[in-house]
Amino acid sequence: MDVAAELLAAALRIATPLLFAALGGILSERAGVFAVGLEGMMLAGAFAGVIGTHTLGHAGLGLLASAAGGALLAAVVAIATVRCCADQMVTGLAVNILALGLTSYLLRGLFGRGEAPIVRVTPLTQMPIPVLGDIPVVGPLLFRQPGLTYVGLALVVVMVAALQRTRAGLTLRAVGENPTAAFASGANPIRVRVLAVLGAGVLAGVGGAVLSLQQVGTFTDGMTNGRGYLALAAIIVGRWSPGGALVGCLLFGATDALQLRIQGLRLPFSSYVIQMLPYVVSLTVLAGLGRSARLPAAIGIPFFREPR
Amino acid sequence: MLRMRGISKSFGSVHANRSIDLEVAPGRIVGLLGENGSGKTTLMNILFGIVPPDAGTIVFKGRPLVGHSPREAIAAGIGMIHQHFMLVPAMTVTENVMLGWEATGRWLRPAGVAQQISSASSAYGLGLDPAARVELLPLGAQQRVEIVKAVLRGAELLVLDEPTSSLSPPEVAGLLRILRRLREEGRSVIFISHKLGEVLEVCDEVVVLRDGGVAGRVGAASVDRHELARMMVGREVNAPLDRIARAPGAERLVVANLTARDALEIERVRGLSFSVRAGEVLALVGVDGNGQAELARVIVGIERPTGGAVFVDGADVTAGGVAARRAAGLAHVPADRATTGLVTDMTIAENLALRAFDEPPLRHGPWLDPDAMTELARERIADFAIRAPGPATVVRTLSGGNQQKIVLARELGSRPAVLVAEQPTRGLDPGATRFVIDQVIALRAAGAAVLYVTTELEEALLVADRIGVMHQGRLVGLLRREHVDLGRLGLMMAGALEEPSDPAALYGVPTP
Amino acid sequence: MRPLLAVLLALALTALLIVAAGKNPLLAYAALGRGALGSWDRVGVGLNKATPYVLTGIGVALCFRARVINIGAEGQIALGGLAATWIALMFPQAPPVVLPLLALAAGALTGAGWAALAAAIRLHRGVHEVLVTLLLNFVGVLIVSEALQGSLGEPGAGFPQSPLLPRASWLPRVLKGSDLHAGIVIAVIVVVLAHVLLWRMPFGFRLRVLGASTPAAVYAGISPPRALLGVMSLAGALAGLAGAVEVLGVHYRLIDGFSHGFGFNAVAIALLGALNPITVLPAGLFFGFLETGALAMQRAVGVPTPLVAVIQGLTMIFILSAMGLSARRSKV
Repeated sequence: MDVAAELLAAALRIATPLLFAALGGILSERAGVFAVGLEGMMLAGAFAGVIGTHTLGHAGLGLLASAAGGALLAAVVAIATVRCCADQMVTGLAVNILALGLTSYLLRGLFGRGEAPIVRVTPLTQMPIPVLGDIPVVGPLLFRQPGLTYVGLALVVVMVAALQRTRAGLTLRAVGENPTAAFASGANPIRVRVLAVLGAGVLAGVGGAVLSLQQVGTFTDGMTNGRGYLALAAIIVGRWSPGGALVGCLLFGATDALQLRIQGLRLPFSSYVIQMLPYVVSLTVLAGLGRSARLPAAIGIPFFREPR
Repeated sequence: MLRMRGISKSFGSVHANRSIDLEVAPGRIVGLLGENGSGKTTLMNILFGIVPPDAGTIVFKGRPLVGHSPREAIAAGIGMIHQHFMLVPAMTVTENVMLGWEATGRWLRPAGVAQQISSASSAYGLGLDPAARVELLPLGAQQRVEIVKAVLRGAELLVLDEPTSSLSPPEVAGLLRILRRLREEGRSVIFISHKLGEVLEVCDEVVVLRDGGVAGRVGAASVDRHELARMMVGREVNAPLDRIARAPGAERLVVANLTARDALEIERVRGLSFSVRAGEVLALVGVDGNGQAELARVIVGIERPTGGAVFVDGADVTAGGVAARRAAGLAHVPADRATTGLVTDMTIAENLALRAFDEPPLRHGPWLDPDAMTELARERIADFAIRAPGPATVVRTLSGGNQQKIVLARELGSRPAVLVAEQPTRGLDPGATRFVIDQVIALRAAGAAVLYVTTELEEALLVADRIGVMHQGRLVGLLRREHVDLGRLGLMMAGALEEPSDPAALYGVPTP
Repeated sequence: MRPLLAVLLALALTALLIVAAGKNPLLAYAALGRGALGSWDRVGVGLNKATPYVLTGIGVALCFRARVINIGAEGQIALGGLAATWIALMFPQAPPVVLPLLALAAGALTGAGWAALAAAIRLHRGVHEVLVTLLLNFVGVLIVSEALQGSLGEPGAGFPQSPLLPRASWLPRVLKGSDLHAGIVIAVIVVVLAHVLLWRMPFGFRLRVLGASTPAAVYAGISPPRALLGVMSLAGALAGLAGAVEVLGVHYRLIDGFSHGFGFNAVAIALLGALNPITVLPAGLFFGFLETGALAMQRAVGVPTPLVAVIQGLTMIFILSAMGLSARRSKV
């Protein structure tokens, strides 16, 4: 029982960066823009978070820097796809390449002498909540987590409310389903989409900071290693709803936690097979859900004022 | 209330609006009449802020509207019910009404809005359920959602763009009643249409547009259909048709007990059976959305039916796909020429080869033969009088009429046994329309069987030997043209009447 | 014209980044150029690097023509290299012409199979091909790592790699005094074949119609699933071939991680080459020379090599934006 609880707690911890990225991705995709660039935005946030904390001295400022880093890359996506109507999927891929190169380059260019330096920051620690943290089973799972994990969970609730109960949420969803109808009803789809993409950048950037500041304590080249794409898978698994994405992220977090623990034991499988686990599971889950997933109807289709 | 002066707008080389003036007084219904492409929709899109004008001014209730978007138009008191509904299908009626409506506040209060919808619905006789999901509503109800949306937002001027194209005759009557009710309240209506009868019935005055300019402005009471038609088209309308009555030959297309579903797995064709003989045209009429599209897709081979069979010249082609049916002699003019019937980014030659590229003479072994394709294109361009620089012209640059000629050239050029034509004259000017109809008649004279699917009753009456009415996926009537009574046809289209199939009509045998 | 402008714009922006790091962009680009084209030896290295780029770029470009986004080159290359290694180690006695051909064929087949798997998942379960090919990349690479730990590994080597392949399996050199191997010849042949396929054969016509409009393709009697399966298998075959070429021509053994980054680069090269096999060739050459020059640039001027990825990313973004704007203009 303890092992399971401990595993779940670890799963939640590991899932936190994914969760932030997935929530950001939901904003973007519900508004009709594919969030393929999450990987790059996360990486930019991870980098900016470490550099920010290192130079500005405070983790809180580092977090702001990470949000800004993600938003910067998101701005590139927004301009290219929403204003210039570039293909959303491929632009996302391009931005990911760009982020990879940019972060590695700046790390060496600004801090090393042409080599990769190691910038260390103190990782954000656990913030156990008194009393509640001592409840058996649920305690360690929910109430002895690092600070940003709590924020992530709260964000899920906030986002559900915002999407369903506010006018802004209704407008965002309408833009993703039928931007022309939204336009004819008085909304501004271009502005909504740009803001949604920027929001995705902020959240994904913070997710990257969770990785670099909370979990690892430094920045290494390409450290997100595909997590942005896993977040996309989590969004699809969760049918584009914040609660569902949480479940998806937990699933991948659990597979990852499991994989790490199994490596310690002497099982007949090689570690590589076990490392494949998260990806194979993702693929299986996606394949199992496949066709029943219901995308926002206008996703991927650029909007511009029609001449006729 | 509304004064538009000197409105001009061009799209590239097309002058959609040429210095148009339009005035609407309060409490009036003004009809805006014109053929497809005469500039009506553009003018209203300018009024509503969807498109900016190149020149001209708009003054509404004493205040100018400049450089505005729909948001400002709605705030000023203009409401628009578009031809293709501006609703979000996946959302409910209430959510759609709340969309973009600032008065609902930062936090949504759906209950309050639902209440308003219900009261407006009873006041105007709209019959709307606020909790219903729009995509499940029939088209007539969807239109009424747009109306209630405009009314609740305080629209004093409502613009309706081709509102009756998706309605059955009784639904049309209901709509006109609603419009009169609005007029009694002092609101004004601009009624855009190309249907003379309706315009005369409900409008106080009529403005006729032709080729982007105003062709005439008259009071509805003082004018009749012929005059209006003349203003719309600019010349005498009735030209005789080359149509000889003939005894139809063998059955060339037989459809037996077909059932089919659409993309959402809803059954759209329910057990349809009919046949078309050599040398006859069977017109299928009905309001859009009653299964015609799915029926065509299944006959032509794009979709598999869920039940039933299709025979071409006696051979069962149900199991085969598009290519197999083409080989059997089935030609298809799709409803949507720009996205389905043609690849607009390719050349005329490539488009003419679109269905036959995989067989000789356009293919030799593993290679395509571009010279053969060009040769074929030259022939067809000449035969069908296609107005274009040459076979290498990109199709997108051609006019709608010429594009449809390419589709016809391809489909008719292979001398088919059966032609399935869906809305072949949609969006075409009168000259092009005439060309299409002449081609269909010529094909009929050559002994082919033609299935002509259309929403335009008048056109069906021109070309058909027999007329079938589709409603909710079933054939509710099948009559010889001579036995047709427009009133009963209208009722059949609305599903209010079902005629037992006249056996003579069913088998196409002329009654003595 | 447009891809050229995009490259220049990207180079200009990147110059700003170089300045930000305190270096002279002109010196940096000069070092880049020298490193890429400075001697026949360098040119040979550049052409070698470009070969897999051209092969994978053509495959992805053909997919793009049918509006299929295939980023699975990394996994397909890895497995193609694996298959070639296996054949080479299994049949060391085979004669020097037969063995490489056999190994290349094995690589192509394996790559095609891996891509076909992705296509099948896409077709039968409706999962978007970007996600499928991406995830299969990870799996493919891990399969190779796993194999290198086991039967194909070289025990005692400090790094996961296979034993040196038999001499008979190596691709021959084609330019005296440089490392240039026969792979470039294969690449050029593929360019010509792909061009002919796209423009002169029914399969290519099908791809082009499908890419322009799916309803029109169905109406024309083209089967979208069959076309998707076909074009992805073809792209997989080309990527697998590229993997085999890398193993047999450059490394002479299977090395863990040798396929890294190819998936995304193939997309960039396809775009840069305007989705046309003939122009994918110079695009692939550009990328190849860019990379060989980057190391020299780092050594000479101290500008870090990841800058190359920045140039690639920016180039892609500019091309995509320009494509989007012109598509939008044509709709008016």
